[in-house]
Amino acid sequence: MWNRHLSLLLPVVLLTGLLLSACSAPTSASAGEEPAARQVFAMNTIMSLQLYGPDKEAALEAAVDEIGRLDALFDRNDPDSDIARLNAHAGDGSPVALAPETVEVLSAALDAGTDTDGAFDVTVAPVIDAWGFGTGDAAQYRLPSRSELDGLLPLVDASALHVDASAGTAWLDRAGMEVDLGGIAKGYTAARLDALLDGYDVTDALLDLGSSTIALRGTNAAGDRWRVAVKDPKDPDRSLLVLSLSDETLSTSGAYEQCFTEDGVTYHHILDPRTGWPGQTGICSVTVVGGDSARTDALSTALFLMGPDEALDLWRRDGSFDCVLCLEDGRILLTEGLEDRCAFADDTDKEDGHGWNCEIVRR
Amino acid sequence: MAGTVRSSAADRRRPTLWDGGVALLILAAALVLLWLLRPVPADRLTAEVRMDGALLGAYDLSELGGRTETVELDAPYPMTLELRSNGVRVAHSDCPSQDCVHTGWIGRAGEQIVCLPNKCIISLTGGADASANDFDVVAG
Repeated sequence: MWNRHLSLLLPVVLLTGLLLSACSAPTSASAGEEPAARQVFAMNTIMSLQLYGPDKEAALEAAVDEIGRLDALFDRNDPDSDIARLNAHAGDGSPVALAPETVEVLSAALDAGTDTDGAFDVTVAPVIDAWGFGTGDAAQYRLPSRSELDGLLPLVDASALHVDASAGTAWLDRAGMEVDLGGIAKGYTAARLDALLDGYDVTDALLDLGSSTIALRGTNAAGDRWRVAVKDPKDPDRSLLVLSLSDETLSTSGAYEQCFTEDGVTYHHILDPRTGWPGQTGICSVTVVGGDSARTDALSTALFLMGPDEALDLWRRDGSFDCVLCLEDGRILLTEGLEDRCAFADDTDKEDGHGWNCEIVRR
Repeated sequence: MAGTVRSSAADRRRPTLWDGGVALLILAAALVLLWLLRPVPADRLTAEVRMDGALLGAYDLSELGGRTETVELDAPYPMTLELRSNGVRVAHSDCPSQDCVHTGWIGRAGEQIVCLPNKCIISLTGGADASANDFDVVAG
């Protein structure tokens, strides 16, 4: 009799096993995979890295090392850095020998300045310091006088920064000039990390280099494009929209970051190198999406300072990036390349119900 | 030839109550196993404090009930944390930026308070599932 019971038992056990395995099986190869993840303090911010794939642990160590190495080259507050040495020799006529990466990022910065008619200027440091925005220390923020800024503006001039790529040197023409890479260093770092990851078997990655610059590789753990929420500049505690991105970099500049109010007027940190004053162009935040990370970073600052008309003219001419411009009048200008990859936070599509109206900009 | 092969089914009688009992027993065991193997959510809201990567402490907030507990952190710029069952905040910091204080209360798993001058991260794990968010990362 037990034999008969056992013959019945076998299919039941098999069926049960099948059920159990079906319950625990991942839905795709990467689903459920834990990333190799690390948070590091660098470039005056906190960076969060998440890597997926067979080589993720080794790649993570290499990425963290690379961030530290680039930070040490680019930090102008560290007297031993390339940028501090370049600044220290300003006006003395001697070319300063630099690491290849410093030469490369300076060249990219000069290109971004040319493309944006000077809206991006890597020599804006004297003006940044006058406002106290250089350190990230809110206690240092101050309102400089117009005459003080007028005295500093001759020192803000990218045409007086010379880069000799073949010799691996650079120099600044005038004493008192200073380079600050704050508007491009994180984007350049994203590009370097992406190139570094190419040398490893890393299928997917989220490189959040301080939330203003985020580079995406592959897909998220669910196998979908990475979903990047963009803050509402009128209420930075909530997100305005979500962009679905893969193998590209997003950079955001918003007037709501690093700002202070004096006598009822709010001053933000996105300083126009041509006036020395916070940009007042009707834009309250810019988000740029593109494949060239360094350029994407620089453009997020430049488009803010160019204003919506000039920014969209550049978008039409350029063809290498897309952008979201949030305007003070409540309009969101979204370029057409992002139309199918954008979802508003509360799913009301074209109008989000929080005083924003979205317009799709076409070429 | 075919006539000499006896099908085992030919010997089989109709299933008895015993058969049903064994099947039920197996199914019940399978269900118990499924229950035991279910993914258990880490439902105890916990605040982890890390200074420059090193774990300083982990506080089980769900134990606090209605109490508010204060923790002094021996950091380069000393900080005071306030812990409640539903969240944590930096009540005071000697740091220059004060961004950590301005962040206010955080109460959901995945949320963080960062103090850059102290290289300090206070993060929440467990508790209500924050994966309900329809995004992977926030820019800005």
